[in-house]
Amino acid sequence: MRIVICEDHALLREGITALLREAGHEVIAHTDHGDGLLALVTEHHPDLAVVDIRLPPTFRDEGIRAAITARALQPGLGVLILSQYVEPVYMSELLDSGGGGVGYLLKERVGDIREFLDAVERVAAGGTALDREVVSELLQARQSQQRTGGSELDALSAREREVLALMAEGRSNAAIGRALVVSQGAVEKHISNIFAKLTLPATDDDHRRVLAVVAYLRATG
Amino acid sequence: MSPTEPAVPIDTARVRPGATALSLTVPFAALVGLTTTIIWAATTAGYYWPRWVWLGALAAAAPFAIRYHLCGIPPERRLLVAHVEVTLGLSAYLVLVWTFAGAHGVFWPVWPLGALAVLLAVHALIVYRHRLPPHSRERELTERVETLTRTRRDALDVQTLELRRIERDLHDGAQARLVALSMQLGRAEARLDDPETAALVRSAREQAGAAIAELRDLARGIAPPVLADRGLDAAVRSLAERCAMQVAVAADEDLGRLPASVESAAYFVIAEALTNVAKHAPGATARVALARRAERLVLDVSDDGPGGADPDGAGLDGLRARVEALDGAFAVISPTGGPTVVHAELPCGS
Repeated sequence: MRIVICEDHALLREGITALLREAGHEVIAHTDHGDGLLALVTEHHPDLAVVDIRLPPTFRDEGIRAAITARALQPGLGVLILSQYVEPVYMSELLDSGGGGVGYLLKERVGDIREFLDAVERVAAGGTALDREVVSELLQARQSQQRTGGSELDALSAREREVLALMAEGRSNAAIGRALVVSQGAVEKHISNIFAKLTLPATDDDHRRVLAVVAYLRATG
Repeated sequence: MSPTEPAVPIDTARVRPGATALSLTVPFAALVGLTTTIIWAATTAGYYWPRWVWLGALAAAAPFAIRYHLCGIPPERRLLVAHVEVTLGLSAYLVLVWTFAGAHGVFWPVWPLGALAVLLAVHALIVYRHRLPPHSRERELTERVETLTRTRRDALDVQTLELRRIERDLHDGAQARLVALSMQLGRAEARLDDPETAALVRSAREQAGAAIAELRDLARGIAPPVLADRGLDAAVRSLAERCAMQVAVAADEDLGRLPASVESAAYFVIAEALTNVAKHAPGATARVALARRAERLVLDVSDDGPGGADPDGAGLDGLRARVEALDGAFAVISPTGGPTVVHAELPCGS
């Protein structure tokens, strides 16, 4: 897989590069600012861009803006945002910025190498990888919003809620099964229950499934 | 002005009250004066005694003229103008009487003229005292208040920017190093064959993860990153998405970036108000409105809960202090039965 990295912190840039190379990926170039990312994408047409949010010169949200522009520049480009904090607002903007894989993870998730590499593969293949922190925030907010009006989420069993959270993170059935130590068949059964209880349109496409779940969580009311 | 419009607006061209009386008095006075003059000419034609008749006729017409003139003066100035005109009329009358009487001897009108002048001066002083140059002490205090207002605002801006810098430093310094550490531990863990050592390394990595999470919470409490990065509108929307109830956000499109201290105060007022709604009116929905009116940021947090909030409660008091520190205005309207509205206005002129 051909990857470009946009990260201004040298220590982290080198760490991520080493990690991806050890996993057999090709890190073709790196840059430390948003305009640099656009130049790299135009020049190399990578499969994936790993991007930090706060970048020179203003250290605000350059990374998000650059990532969205890059996705417009090269449709289908996978973008994995690594940040020190997760913002539902940024996640929404990324998810709304068109097709192709999208990831939004806290930087410390890189420490869990297997999970990080899994997210990298998923995003490059057009899938989704959302940080469990932002997913659980959305889930909690949605659940308390519903508490008064007879909650659909309250109708889910504890296990179904776990499956829902993992689904929102963008994991495949197999990965959900591994994480919860249950069979893939059991996972599929949970998922069809969830979709029925939340009255969501059933789909086999992992990416569309994530979008449906996230849209459900982001909706108010 | 277009040529078809009259040069004088119709309204003021209308006959003023008092005009009829004046238009009758003046010809009558003139008629009396002329008649006596003709009689004087036809008889002795010596000492011109009709001057006293003229004086009487003038004195009779003067009040009508003054009344007519006063109708065109704005009410708040009318009294002083009347005083001026009466004083001038009386003075002229006194001087004329003295002159007609031969203008010799002591100029006795000096005493009544002086008294009239003193009265007029006192009246004018009362009306225009606020225009007097302030005492130097007063001026000093005014300047001091201006300086304090400016420096207080500057201090709050500096403080907010400093907090944002600390937040960035935490992210870019300590937190970034911990992330790098966690990454290296992860790589080490992957290379270890001994499961016991690998478990030790994993535990170390998890400790690093916990430290990072704590630093992140700390940084968010100091200055929410999205507020520094995107401004108030985005930060409030983010707050609304995280909130435990339904929150609708309506913000002016041209809100733009505001002074750091204003953004920060507005953000914390809204966050606290929403926390209060969640705490005291569970199940209510809330609405946040942000607007920029002239040089002020106007914000309202309203909810459809049961109302009855104590505007002097400790939490609301803290918000009031925060707003007033920026010379803003703060109000809580919470009748029993609701709805509750928290309203704040913050000056945000450049």
